[in-house]
Amino acid sequence: MSGSSYYRLRRIKDVIVRFMVYLALLIALIPLFSVIFEVARRGIIAINLDFFVKPTPTVGEVGGGIANAIQGTFITIGLTCLIGVPIGVISGIFLSEYSESRFSTIIRFFNEVLNGIPSIVIGIFSYALIVLAVGFSVIAASFALSIIMIPIVTRTTEEALKLVPATIREAAIALGMPRWKTVVYIVLRSAKKTVATGILLAIARITGESAPILVTMGYWRWWFAGLNRPVANLALNIFLFANSPFENWVVLAWGSALILIMMVLGINIVVRILMRERY
Amino acid sequence: MSRIMDAELRNLSTIIYKMGDLAYQAVSMAIYESLYGRDSYDRIKEISDTLILLADQVEDKIFEIIIRFQPVASDLRIVKSYMKISYDITRLGRYALDISYINKRFGGLGGSEEWIRTYIADMSEKALSMVKMVMEILRSQKIEVIKSVSEMEEEIDKLYINFLNKIIDETNIKSRVVVSSVLVIRYFERIADHVAYMCESIIYMLTGRKEFLR
Amino acid sequence: MSTYKIEVEKLNAWFGSKQVLKNIDMKVKDRAVTAIMGPSGCGKTTFIRCLNRMHELTPGARVSGRVLLDGINIYDDGIDPVQIRRKVGMIFQKPNPFPMLSIYDNVALGPKLNGVKDRKTLDLIVRRSLELAGLWDEVKNDLDKSGVSLSGGQQQRLCIARALAVEPEVLLMDEPTSALDPMSAAKIEALIRKLAENYTVIIVTHNIQQAARVSDYVAFFYLGELIEYGPTKDVFEKPRSELTERYITGKFG
Repeated sequence: MSGSSYYRLRRIKDVIVRFMVYLALLIALIPLFSVIFEVARRGIIAINLDFFVKPTPTVGEVGGGIANAIQGTFITIGLTCLIGVPIGVISGIFLSEYSESRFSTIIRFFNEVLNGIPSIVIGIFSYALIVLAVGFSVIAASFALSIIMIPIVTRTTEEALKLVPATIREAAIALGMPRWKTVVYIVLRSAKKTVATGILLAIARITGESAPILVTMGYWRWWFAGLNRPVANLALNIFLFANSPFENWVVLAWGSALILIMMVLGINIVVRILMRERY
Repeated sequence: MSRIMDAELRNLSTIIYKMGDLAYQAVSMAIYESLYGRDSYDRIKEISDTLILLADQVEDKIFEIIIRFQPVASDLRIVKSYMKISYDITRLGRYALDISYINKRFGGLGGSEEWIRTYIADMSEKALSMVKMVMEILRSQKIEVIKSVSEMEEEIDKLYINFLNKIIDETNIKSRVVVSSVLVIRYFERIADHVAYMCESIIYMLTGRKEFLR
Repeated sequence: MSTYKIEVEKLNAWFGSKQVLKNIDMKVKDRAVTAIMGPSGCGKTTFIRCLNRMHELTPGARVSGRVLLDGINIYDDGIDPVQIRRKVGMIFQKPNPFPMLSIYDNVALGPKLNGVKDRKTLDLIVRRSLELAGLWDEVKNDLDKSGVSLSGGQQQRLCIARALAVEPEVLLMDEPTSALDPMSAAKIEALIRKLAENYTVIIVTHNIQQAARVSDYVAFFYLGELIEYGPTKDVFEKPRSELTERYITGKFG
């Protein structure tokens, strides 16, 4: 075979493979973009000022909004973070910095198991533990969501701290810093962006959860009325409104979906920026 | 594993050994002249000049080794000692030339008194064998032989002093003979001294000890 | 009062079941530079890490024997390793300023955590430490910049300033110039000589010429044993041990 025809064959193969790769990419992106496109197309009609400032309309009421669901979602996420972030971060610190303890292998194992449990199961667990005592409430929902959050934050924190070079730790210890100060002032501080990234990803994950919300908080179409009462929730809104017979509620469901997608997208963009800034 | 420096050090040794051979030739020619009067001044001059040239080469090579390899420990002691030894060898050549010059200028000691010739034969023979021995020690690194070299050096010193004491009292020797014999004997004594310095360098090179044999 | 700052007696160290230091006896002179040299894996780094109790931080690591700092055994019960590390500072092979801190904070962090709160005092400590490390003139206008924005050599001097800020008495240096270019390395070496006027400096190096240049005393470690220890000039002119001779002349292996 002559040299030039050999190279031509190679070029042709190269073009074919490249074409296939792009095709596969296109096929993978079609569902994503069609979801975003469809949600945007249908959701955009719902969006106006009322949509953001008015609560869920009563049956037969025209217009209305999802303001109470946005409020409820933020409150729920906030309370979840209050429970989940400290526990997750501290567990992550333990696993990364005190990994010589045999205990940590066990914790790591259960953390993985916890991460794999379906969220509805966690919802049921929270129902049995809290709803039966307190009733459907923000507390019960946040408790369930924080159980989903903790393993994610734990793992990302552990990984973030392990990325901090050992030389930095040694530098701090050699300065005569006690271990806990080294961990808090040096290691955690060096990894704060990566840890924040992990927390944000966990928030993105729980923002979209609806199954545990359904069994712990249920439906609530009014404003926030206390932590021992339910609040409205975006993800749940989509589930309930979309199934409703009222046309304006269906429109609100699409609007909620759009807002939810924007929130998750927004979080992911922030994460991207944080990741790029690291080191 | 051999080092790059080893080849350079071997080159250096080769030059030093060659210098030793040349110096031995020069000294033996000078002795032959003194005792039997053959004129080999030009040849000795040639050797002495070559020795100076080679010593310059040695110094140059040693600087190159220092620049390239920053020698330490035995390497450092070798280059330091070689530097000194190469100088000592040029001195041997130079004294041979001085002796030759005296012979050329005053016509040798072939016709001088018997006892003077005995002294010169005795001392020159000892000096020459010292030159031979020190070069052998350098090659073989048999440091224990140095003791006998330094004993010979002491003997030469004694002979030198005795000779001076004796000749100072002689009144009926031609001043030509007095001057040339004293100078020649003095030069042999100096040759022995430099051989002793070389022994000191060898001891330092091989053991790191700084000994004084004089 | 002896002139020895550190006296090491029968020091043994292990990683798990592997013994990396064997019965080391060594007395380190005060206000002098002592260089530790030896081939990789000879235990030289472990040795200095035993002197500020850093060795024991490695999982499975163990130490026996005594290390007297000013006559007090740093391995005695009731001795706080944290306190020892404040007296015995350490500089590492790779410059490791805290990346998230400014130049100022890198130096100020140690004294701050040790309880110095007054801003003026901190300013003074930072300035004096940077001056001692020969870095002040180069960074005095950039104290707010990140420590990692500096060049490698400057970073290493920043690390030295950081160590000096906690007012140690001994400085351990683990191959402090091996990651630097020759010019930066030369600056650090000059700095080491200057520091020896007030500090006891122990430097690990596998650069034999560097050991010869900077040290007053030099120790040669091989396979966890102290083979030779003496004044630098003596060791480099006439080593007592054949092993040392072979190591420093490059006839090893």
